[in-house]
Parts: sequence; C-alpha cells; structure tokens
Amino acid sequence: MSRTVLAVALLATGLATAAETPPAPGPTPPFELPATTAFTLKNGLKVTLVPYGAVPKTDVSLALQLGNADEAANQTGLADLMGKLLLQGTTKRSAVQVAEAAAGLGGELQANVRSDQTSLDIECLGDSTVDAIRLVAEVARTPAFPTAELARLRGDLQREVAIERSQQQPLAEELFFRAIYGNHPYGRVLPVAAEVDRFTLEQAKALWTRFAGANRAHLYVVGRFDPAAVRAAVEEAFGGWGKAKGTPRPKPAPRAARKVLLLDRPDAVQSTVRLGLPAISPTSPDYIPLVVTDVLLGGIFSSRITTNIREKHGYTYSPRSVIAVHPGVGTWVETADVTTKDTAAAVREIVNEIERLRKEPPGDEELAGVRKYVAGNFVLRNSTRAGIVIQLRFVDLHGLPANWLRTYVQRVEAVTPADVTRVMRKYIDPQRMTLVVVGDRKVVGDSLKQFGPVKVEASR
Amino acid sequence: MRTLACLSLALALGCAHSPPPAQAPSPPPPVAAPTPPPSADAAAARFIPPDAKPAFEIPVDAYTLANGLKVVLSRDTTAPIVTVAVYYHIGLRIEPRNRTGFAHLFEHMMFQGSENLGKLAFIQLVQRNGGILNGSTRFDFTNYFEVIPSNVLDTVLWAEADRMRGLKVTQENLTNQQGVVKSEVRVNVLNRPYGGWPWLTVPQLANKNWYNAHNFYGDLTDLDAATLQDVEKFFKTYYAPNNAVLVVSGSFDPAQVKPLVSRYFDSIPRADVPPIPDLTEPPQTEEQWKAVDDKLAQRPALAVAYHMPPRGSPEFWAMALIQQILVAGPDSRLYQELVQKRGLTGEVGGGANLLGNQFNYQGPMLWMAYVFHDASHNPKEIVSAMDAAIEPLRQAPVDAATLERARVKARSAYYADLETMFGFGRADLLAAHALFDGDAGAVNRIEPSLLAVTPELIQRTAQEWLRPTNRTVVALQPAGGK
Repeated sequence: MSRTVLAVALLATGLATAAETPPAPGPTPPFELPATTAFTLKNGLKVTLVPYGAVPKTDVSLALQLGNADEAANQTGLADLMGKLLLQGTTKRSAVQVAEAAAGLGGELQANVRSDQTSLDIECLGDSTVDAIRLVAEVARTPAFPTAELARLRGDLQREVAIERSQQQPLAEELFFRAIYGNHPYGRVLPVAAEVDRFTLEQAKALWTRFAGANRAHLYVVGRFDPAAVRAAVEEAFGGWGKAKGTPRPKPAPRAARKVLLLDRPDAVQSTVRLGLPAISPTSPDYIPLVVTDVLLGGIFSSRITTNIREKHGYTYSPRSVIAVHPGVGTWVETADVTTKDTAAAVREIVNEIERLRKEPPGDEELAGVRKYVAGNFVLRNSTRAGIVIQLRFVDLHGLPANWLRTYVQRVEAVTPADVTRVMRKYIDPQRMTLVVVGDRKVVGDSLKQFGPVKVEASR
Repeated sequence: MRTLACLSLALALGCAHSPPPAQAPSPPPPVAAPTPPPSADAAAARFIPPDAKPAFEIPVDAYTLANGLKVVLSRDTTAPIVTVAVYYHIGLRIEPRNRTGFAHLFEHMMFQGSENLGKLAFIQLVQRNGGILNGSTRFDFTNYFEVIPSNVLDTVLWAEADRMRGLKVTQENLTNQQGVVKSEVRVNVLNRPYGGWPWLTVPQLANKNWYNAHNFYGDLTDLDAATLQDVEKFFKTYYAPNNAVLVVSGSFDPAQVKPLVSRYFDSIPRADVPPIPDLTEPPQTEEQWKAVDDKLAQRPALAVAYHMPPRGSPEFWAMALIQQILVAGPDSRLYQELVQKRGLTGEVGGGANLLGNQFNYQGPMLWMAYVFHDASHNPKEIVSAMDAAIEPLRQAPVDAATLERARVKARSAYYADLETMFGFGRADLLAAHALFDGDAGAVNRIEPSLLAVTPELIQRTAQEWLRPTNRTVVALQPAGGK
C-alpha cells in the first residue's frame, strides 16, 4: 500500500523537473531477524548466541551494568580509567600477553566504557570463537589492576581530556547535558583534570569489583561459530564467575528550560550549536513515532532542517538531530557547526522548521518515504554482526519486551501524519529548549539575545 | 567518555557521516609522459602461485560494456540488501593548480541535479526507499554508492546512469555547495584542533610532486573561484563510462541485473579521457624534519611518513604485513614500545592510505605512524622510541610467532575491510582492483599474497622502505595564544 503511494510521489518529483522518471521499486523483500538462542547460567550470566553471516568472523561482547553513570560526583572519568586498567593483564598474563593472545585470534580486546554499560569486546576469526570467549572470561574474572600502570594511564586520560576540551563539540555537549541533567552523572560529560589527578588504583578497582559480576552481565556471541562448542566453552569459562552487588543509580531528573548558554571561543570561524530538550526513552509508546518524526525533521540528509540550513542556505556541512537515550530518559537535540556570521540565522531556521512541523502535518508521501527509510535502516542495522550486537544490547539495556525488534518495522509503518503532529507538539517545543552555542562571543553574542537572555559560561 | 558523536581525532575526509562531501580536481593539465604504474597483475603473478586460493573466496562476475564501462557483479545473499557503487578514475590529487579542492567540490555537484533528477531528488530517491548513500573523494578515485533494500536496485541503477549521462547544475546550486564545502573545511580543518592531521597535513610536507603535495581540501579562495564552466569541463573530461567501474554486490538476481545494466548504461557515450599526469615522487635520499603550528591544539603530536613501494610489488605485500607488525593493535611493536613500555602516548595510529585501506589506492602513497603526546617529551625522543621498534625489522628476519600473528591479523583486517558499512567494503575493493589492476578478481589474490610474504622479504622491504632517509618527520606544536 505505502509502496504505491511512494511510487506516485517519486513520479511527481520526476515530472516536476524532467522527462524520464525512475523505475518504481519492486515489492519489499522479506526480512527475518537472525535467529537467536538465549540461556542463563546458574550464576545469573545471560547469554545470547546468534549464528550469522558469510564472512568467517565472530563478535564476542560481554556487556556489564557498569558505566560512567556509576561514578561519584567528583569521579567523572573514573570508569574510563578503570577500562584502561582492565586491559593491563590478568593474574595469569601480562598486558602484552593478553594483547598477543587476542591478535592471534584475529582480534583486539577492547574495554568500551559508556554511560550505562561497559563491554569487553573482541571481533575474531570465526574458528577462534571459543578461545576468544575464554580470553574475555579471563580478563573479566581475573584482571590484574597493576599499580605500576596507574600513573601512565592517568596521564593518558589527562591527555585525552585536554584534547577533548580543545574541541568545540564536546564542550557544547558538556554544557547541554549539564543544563538538562544537572549534577546527575548523565550531566557530567567530560572529566575534569583536577579530579583525574586524584584517582587512585583502589577507586578504579572498587568500581569494577562492586559492579562487575555474572548476575550483572550479558554475553553476546554473533557470527560464524559452532554453537554447541561455544555453549560448552561459555559454561566452562564463566560458570564459576561470582556475583556483584552493585549500587542503585541516582534517578535522573531531566529539566526542560528555555535557556541560552554561550561559551566564548574568540575568533572561532564556526559556532557549534546544540538546541534541544528532554524527550522520552524507548519504553514510551511514543518512542517509535518520535524516531520517525526525528528522521523527518533533522535525522537524515534529506530531512527538513538539513535541507534548509545546508542545501538551501549553505550555513553548515553536517547538521543532524539525535534522540539520545538512557534507561528511562532521553533527549532530542539538533547539532550543527555553522559559519560564525550565520549562527543566529541558522538557529532561527532550525526553530522555523520545528514550528512548521508542529503546525502542519507532513504530507503522506514525505512521511511514507521517511517510514521506508527507518524500516530500511533497521534492516541494515540488523545485517552486520556489530549491528546485531548493538540492537540486542539496546533491547536489554532498556528492558524492552522480547518482541520489540520483531515488531519494530510494523510499528514504524503505522506512524501517521497525525502522530507526527502529536509528538511534535507534545515533545519538541522550542519554548522549552536549551540553546548552547560555543563560538566567537564578540560576533554572535548580541544576535543570540533574540532567543532569550544569554548566559555566558566559563570554560573549565 | 560520552559525547554524542564519536569525535575521532584521526578523522579522515569527513565523508562518513553526512552525504556528499566532495573534493573535485579539475581537468588536469596533463604533465609529461607518465610512467605507467607497475602492473599489479604481473607482480602478483610473480609473487604467488597462479592457483593460490583464498580461505574466503568472493564470487566475481566482471565484464565490460561496449562503451568501456567496467561492470562487476558479486552476489551475497546474507541479507536482503545490495550495494551499488560507481567509481570514477579521478582522485583528489589531480586538479588544476588554481583550483585546489575542486575534485572534492565536484563530488558535491554530483548530488545537485542530473538530466532527470533535480537537486536533492537523487538523495530522496535513495533515502525514502530505505537506503543510505554517500560519495567520497580519495587519492585515486571518486566514488558514489548506495546500500539499499534489494527491491530498489532497478531504481538506483537508473539513477546512477542518469547522472553519468549528464549533470544539470545551476549557478545557485554551485554557490550553495561552495558554502557547504567551505563549512566542511572549517569543521574538519580550520576550526578543529589537529584539523587535517595527519592525513591532509603530512602529504603536503612529505611529497615533492605538486599533485601529491597540495592542499586537497582546497584553499577557500580557490573554492570560491570555481565556475559552472569548470564543473562542466571536469564532468566531460573524467565522468565517462570508459573511466569508471560499476559494482553491484549483495542480494540480486543474476538473470535480471545484466539486462538492467545494459538498459541504463549501454547508450552513455564514451569520451576521450586524458592520460593521468606524472604523479611519481622523486626517490627520497635524505631524512626530512618539518614542524607545523596548531593554534587550537593543547598537546603536541608527531608523525613519521615513509614513501611506499609501488602497488602490487612483493614489497607492497610485505608492507601490508609490516603494518600489522608495527602499528595495528596493542600487540604491535610501536604500541608496545611507545605506549606500554615508555609511556610516551596512549595509542599509535597509522598505516598506508589513511583515507582508505591498504588496497584501495593506486599510488604514490605514504605509510605513516603518528601519536599525540605531552610537551614533556620532545620529538627526538619519540622518533628514537619509534626507531627502537622499527629498526629490528631491518636488522633480522622476524620470528615465526610474529609472522603468524601478523598473517592472522592481516586476514582478519581484510575481512573487516570487506564488511565495512553494511558490505559496501566488498564493492569498494572490487572497484579498486578493477580500476587499478584491470581485474576485479584480483581481490581473491589478496589473502594468498599476504600469506606468501616471507621473513626475508619483510626484512628486505624494511631495509629499503623503512630507511630513515626515506621518511619525513612532522612535529605538530600547540601554538595557542592562551
């Protein structure tokens, strides 16, 4: 049904400019999510196996309920230091031995620390899957946390922080999320040098010990492997892993407020802009309509905001709107780096596009195309090993129902123009948005006053 | 850390996120008689037994249309998606001297309207049918590709043919994209600490031939100077079927795809494409040290860049293994020496062709290693540590365990290349081998060629190509006023 509508839309586009029209797409091919096998070990470790793909490789990912969100107020970045320390060897093997073992499997072991989760990840050759699982288990269960490496790794973290803080985009995000989440860990985006200096080995180790255990972990194995051998290896390697207590996280209380925050970067040739507000998390029934709406508004190249500020006005190169979520909460934010002199004009155009979509529903054809993009993109995201891991982790992190992925496309296809208007009016209200600009104050400062009283922020 | 976008410091030409970045060269004032690049076919034939088979073999059905368009089909039905990729044999090196950045700017123009599709219509056609798309300008080619649901193949082949047949670009659209590209240069280079480091900065300092040593992203005044005439001339000169390859890889019906390709592409006329100008770099005989200032940077950085052996030579394959041994991953020798042992930095980046991978360029090329470090360590100290990792490769053959690990990593990395961006990577390698070697099937010789590299060849290659006198050291100094 929607295909017919789309073909008509394309025909119209073609007729407007030209003699020949594109051939209409055929019927959408059937897409089945790859089959998964899930089981739980006695100690609580959840395991999901997904035999998948043609290329002889496997992704192994051990995801833990442990992240930057578990850092204390004066410990921003401690989890990042912990992640670095995890790769410094085990009680049985040195760092170089671990690195060489991983390389011998065709992979590289990584400790990826995120806000809500930390994962130990390795992408290996398929016939090395069992050994990769053993290696991940060894690092998870018996990390050495060697004192000798602390000063070096703290120095590395300091350097990374200094480099992050020399870029406008991370600074803009720090301001934006602090405005939304306050002093909740979700509002503390970048570590602070003086705090990093005081991190101790004991603190990093304690973070790991408190939060890392079988009952707080989920192992994903996706790729080309022998499921029976892998299951046996998982039971053997992880069966004896103990549990961890954890600590409940502080509950985030996102705040919407009309604010204009400016961080001065004298002589910057571009301004980094963030404009957004708290929205919803994936558990909300409005989440899928909001995802579709976001794509139409600013999420992709052919979206309204991008068409306007890039293709019409040439203010910017890669603007994009994003729904950034944590369990239970989320934000919608438009991101752009715009030519300094055009800063206020670009913000004005972004607001105009938001207001237009709040007033009038999108046309059927435009929305049908966007639904198709979201559905097609879902197929792409579930067609690679790494993509499959990310999708499964997302469902588990947010505690979504088991059929969430399976029903995703049909829920996307059900989004109507009226839904778009409804979620725009309910969630994407420019009157409640925080505007962050990192740029040249002497050029942009006055022009931002049209959006509200400008608060000039000090750099940290 | 938790920033929204993962801001990689090793940012390559910023094409990945947002659609059309482009850097377009204008018609090359062809220089003197170019030496043809060494034939990879011949070199590969010398290097590996002709019947050598890869562990993972890619199906390749390659043929050429009467108008010279190379067509490569490679089926993979893992998922109901298909990649369409059109590669034009014109890269960012070759542009007129007063039009730096034109090759890339031109790439943007390929999204601004063709005979039957107005501005934005191409992008909408792909995105609103469930696909993704991009274009990118690289050293030796410019590509345009889509990853789409398999039912949209017919539509997208038609659209790619439409813009190969002719563009319809207005002054308004050109002016708009000049603004967009200048924004791109600002966000990726001018307003960013380490902007263009090292991928854009280092070739300008290490190379001597202007084609390899100019600002590929473009001076803003040159970008502003581009005219519609430049666009038309460039298109007519390089965007001909006989200067291109079309790859279709993924889920498709083999019986249907060939008639479709014929229907849309057969009637596009060939053109006289000028010879590639002389791109050769003079042999380097003295080590060079260069310094650059970065007013936004907070920490120093350092890169070393060695000229690479020619594509397809035995030494080229040896360098692919050397890359694994020296710089790929935390087991690599540079990582172990600089990070784990001496604590000079937290990571070491590098390899051949930072705008792609080891296989998708024609050359000349640099092989680099680079680090970000603290001001408490000076460039000489960093280079001395690098030499401690590199020199042993020149002194003696590598041990068996090191070689075996390098082979496993190289295979695994090659598979990862194939899988890049939902399988687009497979189309990319097929296109590169079709363009540069005249044989898309040469992809299936990558694995055996990597495995054929011996410790002796590695040592010989390191002796010749990892000579200090074959390298340029570039030290980046923070020069902020505050």
